[in-house]
Amino acid sequence: MRNLLDFLKTYHHWFIFILLEIISGVLLFQYNSYHGSVWLSSSNVVVGKIYEWESALLAYTTYGKANEELTLRNYYLERQNDQLRRLYQEAIKDTSALERQELAFLSQFNPIPAKVVDNSVSKPDNLMTIDKGRVDGVETDMGVACGNGVVGVVSLVSDHYAVVVPVLNAGASSISCAIRNTGYFGYLHWYGEDPAVAYVEDVPRHAKFKIGDWVVTSGFSSIFPSGVLVGKIEQAYNSRDGLSYKLKVRLSTDFSCLRDVCVISDKSIAERAALLQAARDSINVINRE
Amino acid sequence: METVNRIIMFVTLLLAQVLILNHIHLFQIATPLLYVYFVVTFSMDTPKWVVLTSSFGLGLLIDIFANTAGMAAGCMTLIAMLQPYLLQFLAPRDAGENMQASAASLGFGKFAFLCSTLVLLYSILFFALESFSFFDWQMWSLRALGSALLTLLMILAIESVRSK
Repeated sequence: MRNLLDFLKTYHHWFIFILLEIISGVLLFQYNSYHGSVWLSSSNVVVGKIYEWESALLAYTTYGKANEELTLRNYYLERQNDQLRRLYQEAIKDTSALERQELAFLSQFNPIPAKVVDNSVSKPDNLMTIDKGRVDGVETDMGVACGNGVVGVVSLVSDHYAVVVPVLNAGASSISCAIRNTGYFGYLHWYGEDPAVAYVEDVPRHAKFKIGDWVVTSGFSSIFPSGVLVGKIEQAYNSRDGLSYKLKVRLSTDFSCLRDVCVISDKSIAERAALLQAARDSINVINRE
Repeated sequence: METVNRIIMFVTLLLAQVLILNHIHLFQIATPLLYVYFVVTFSMDTPKWVVLTSSFGLGLLIDIFANTAGMAAGCMTLIAMLQPYLLQFLAPRDAGENMQASAASLGFGKFAFLCSTLVLLYSILFFALESFSFFDWQMWSLRALGSALLTLLMILAIESVRSK
């Protein structure tokens, strides 16, 4: 017994060492999946608050550029909207119907404006923290977009903060997108390094597109509505197996100076997700029988 | 007094790392990992369990800020295990029990050796864990060596100011 106590006394630090390494290992392999613990991530209250202060302090350095971009885009959209409205009016010759439809369409969307409090673009698996959480209506698997295009998907929510997996996450991000006007779709992936370039994979061989065409979200997933801007096609390659195209896309979102984003909570999307789930369940039931 | 100093150092290094240094990516590659300095400078008479648990704690806090649960904590614990042995090996024979690990007490050469061993080991391990699911050995070695070099430069710069 005495020997045992002596042994423990002399070598106790080795046991502590092994214990701590085991804890680290468990954390590394359990919680690093993106649906891990809220407490051990930057969506916890204290860490979120500190990052919020920091970003409030640094916000002024990037507001100028972001504002300029948004103003331009706003102007462009306004012109487009004006033109479309005129064309539509000429086509149906009924103004009150138009307004009714517009209201119905807009009430579907309920964007939650949020600020990015922590962000990175240089790692292979980047994550982003925003300052809105469950209390503000944010839930996991909601889409996040900014004025210039798609940003990412919410993966972890605490009461006041949320962690977003942005497009710039090589391991976990995969957003369904389509070529505007033609509807051929594929999946958006990013492979690290340049934060302005990503790739759309699995575009069918018979798809028609031109270099310079816009890529937008497809609306097939239950995360983004269709038509949120992704980027411009810069180059097209054959995929490795030769069965599809791989498109190099210049992202329209500038991730390196992102401050204001909005979380998209769309009632119709939730409805569609529920419907899809119901369909899956009934198929499972049939299979089991 | 010593304890208070260590606690101040702990907090300063933590805040410096998460608010400033983690945003630095020199040439898109090197990130200074200054918090390793905390492990390097434990004095000889610090109980080993204190070295281990406080290093683990600092690592874990940095992990929480950077969303990398377990990565820094594991690596910090490992080098915290090695530090007392390395320091004992490098200490001059007539050194007192409570010798500080600093350039002033060890001599600049030996201190640089202590730092570079720990920093290099740390950054190799840390970036290996980071690229676990995304292995690209060129990028990995560049990031590890670049960051180690940058960290080492910072530590030695701070130490040369402190030892005067």
